[in-house]
Amino acid sequence: MNIKINAQGNHYDVILEGRIDTTNADQFQKDVAPLMAGDSPEIDIDCTGMEYTSSQGLRIFLMLQKSVNARGGKMVMRNMKPQVKEVFDITGFSNIIKIV
Amino acid sequence: MRELVPEFIARSLEEAHVLVTALESRVKTEESLAGKLALKGGKYASIRDVTDIVGARVITFYSDDVDKISALVQKTFEVDWENSVDKRTQHSIESFGYMSLHYVCRIPACLYSDPDFPELNELRFEVQMRTALQHVWANMYHDTGYKSGLEVPPEHLRTLNRLAGVLELADDEFSRVRARINDYRRKVQSLVSDGNFDEVSLNGDSFRSYLALDPFGSLTARIAAINQAEVQEVSLMPYMGALRYLGCQTIGDVERLRVKYSDLTYRMTVHQIGQTDLDIISSALALQNLCIVCVVERGGGALELEKLFESIDGPSPYNASRARSIIAFIDKLRK
Repeated sequence: MNIKINAQGNHYDVILEGRIDTTNADQFQKDVAPLMAGDSPEIDIDCTGMEYTSSQGLRIFLMLQKSVNARGGKMVMRNMKPQVKEVFDITGFSNIIKIV
Repeated sequence: MRELVPEFIARSLEEAHVLVTALESRVKTEESLAGKLALKGGKYASIRDVTDIVGARVITFYSDDVDKISALVQKTFEVDWENSVDKRTQHSIESFGYMSLHYVCRIPACLYSDPDFPELNELRFEVQMRTALQHVWANMYHDTGYKSGLEVPPEHLRTLNRLAGVLELADDEFSRVRARINDYRRKVQSLVSDGNFDEVSLNGDSFRSYLALDPFGSLTARIAAINQAEVQEVSLMPYMGALRYLGCQTIGDVERLRVKYSDLTYRMTVHQIGQTDLDIISSALALQNLCIVCVVERGGGALELEKLFESIDGPSPYNASRARSIIAFIDKLRK
């Protein structure tokens, strides 16, 4: 799993690649820590290169979404591969996280 | 004092959950104070006798909230009744005009005291309470008549006073509408909680009352048990559009869908999620899948499913492929 974060003020462009699973979920949580601070963040997550997410990944996305909501910000995930989008759909997470 | 007074009022409004359109405060300008003393100088022995050097104003949405706020002000401050006035009750039955409640108050020592400024608790200030419409009228009158320095022709003053009558009617009507809406909500809540679902049309209020009964709780619990999943609570309100799309006109229609398709929904979800190790779900999953099952069981295809998804989250480039994938999945199950 690779993550690149490009911050400009309160706007964050995030690029995710690879799989998020039990082997790297802890690292992923550490990697997204910079996104958990600051007022009114706008987080745009490009999932073009993301192959899969496990429940651990969903929990981290959920934590991030709640943190963004609490700080009056916005978060979107975009360009999901069908197999990744399916994980969000069959868990009902498409109702929680904005996917465009 | 200018900061303390609105702070205490704001706190008291918040504790009583009263919403207002505005809470303002001001200190009388030197010019305005000089004008007042020039006009009514004989009335005051000392500047301390001027009771509105500091003033706060609470502007409400509804006329009945003015009385509620007056009760809160009485509870918070010490009211100087001799100098307080209820302008709302001072008009004769055939006259209309300024409608506002003015209390002259002190900050009681039990609420706040400052050892460096003991006279703070002796100083008086004024709290004006009125509705937004009364406020508009008072400002118009202030600008066009009273204090303008020019004598306004009586016909214009009469027009202003006629407008005061119209606004008084409008204020009463706003209060009446609010009371009717609250009555309607209570009635809907009572019908829903008594299970008289067919008598209740599907709308935001009735659906919220229905959801308070947790109708999808047991299906959600069954689905969560498949993978011993944690359930993440989310609002189901966005599904009202989907239920309307499915033809539900009353809460009774929604309840019939729930009863009819719950088992099938569970079985479909077992196949969907049981083959994964995903152990977290949203509380909307049960209703989401129930709507999907309903469309498919009624003979709907990918197009109808796409419209269903659109009714929940709006248009999305994912909707068509998601609909096709679900239809393919269900076809496979049927074989």
